[in-house]
Amino acid sequence: MRVSSLLASATLALTLTSAAMAADEAAPAGIAIGDEAPMATTKMKNVDGKQLSIADVKKAKGTLVVFSCNACPWAKAWETRIVALGNASTKRGIGVIVINSNDPTVNDQDGYDVMKERAKQRKMQFAYVVDATSDVARAFGATRTPEAYLFGADGKLVYHGTIDDNAHEPDKVEARYLQDAVDAVVAGKAVSTQETKALGCSIKFRAKS
Amino acid sequence: MRHGILVCVLTLLPACGHRSPPSDSQAKAEAPALETATADRILQSVREPGATAVVVNVWATWCTPCRQEFPDLMQIRREYEPRGLRMVLVSADFPDQSEDARHFLAEQGVDFPTFLKTGKDMEFINQLDTRWSGALPATFVYDGRGALRSFREGRTTHAALESLVVAAMTPQ
Repeated sequence: MRVSSLLASATLALTLTSAAMAADEAAPAGIAIGDEAPMATTKMKNVDGKQLSIADVKKAKGTLVVFSCNACPWAKAWETRIVALGNASTKRGIGVIVINSNDPTVNDQDGYDVMKERAKQRKMQFAYVVDATSDVARAFGATRTPEAYLFGADGKLVYHGTIDDNAHEPDKVEARYLQDAVDAVVAGKAVSTQETKALGCSIKFRAKS
Repeated sequence: MRHGILVCVLTLLPACGHRSPPSDSQAKAEAPALETATADRILQSVREPGATAVVVNVWATWCTPCRQEFPDLMQIRREYEPRGLRMVLVSADFPDQSEDARHFLAEQGVDFPTFLKTGKDMEFINQLDTRWSGALPATFVYDGRGALRSFREGRTTHAALESLVVAAMTPQ
């Protein structure tokens, strides 16, 4: 009886230790406001077959990096708005690159051929590239799709977060966070809301190389 | 009357040991109610008396890791409900996907009321935990007093969740 009690106590203690180690597993901290884009010179395959980096698409007024994909319902819900904002931003002096870091073996809809089709169908006038190791997403600390990072003319992060406050009902959007941030950067003003959140699909990271 | 007897007999058949996978119509018929809920409502459910620990899991039908971990959640519920565990499931599906959510819940054997998230995402996320990035799935474990004891973003496992539940049931 006493032996079994001791064993039970030891098991519980071990369990609690494991619990303490396992608890509070939030996403690893990513880049912060004021940081520069990590892995900015890493080449990634664009939908036109060329190798492009974040540095390659940079323009005079800033750079917009969006982690997105083909399959996620949240990415799909925002896709029209992302493409419209991306196309408009490239004409306003901001370089735009959308990065797909998802492992296509999890969902084949996230494969390169589907990316090419989507870029053509949606008339994307910016880079849509494959993060073939998912390491770029890891370096940013990106966790979900879509997730946007806007860098100013000096290369420093000025906005991180979601597109707007209503993925599902575009006509009920009250706060256009990313649009407002882009407008501020183009105007050379400070971004008022620098960090936002939304629910989204987790990035399907490839195994670490 | 004869129709009534026939319905009763057909309804009882699965209980006679002839279990087969539920058809679409059966699964939908048995699907639990989905109550739309803000984070306030979820936290109210957490703090309702009578539980020794509460697990809140935010999931969606289209979320592959959510679907993968679901059987583990249900197993934990079966194992620890007799010890006072309350499981609070919150679907983050869009409102027009709520039938898909109910269907999935029925397939997983969920026979208790669950929730469908409503309201602004950012408020919902930060009210549950400011450390949550918003990626799904997310699992929160509270003790019997409603205090958050642990948080996990991403797919959980039976072993990991069990250790968190046991810890939450243990007085600090």
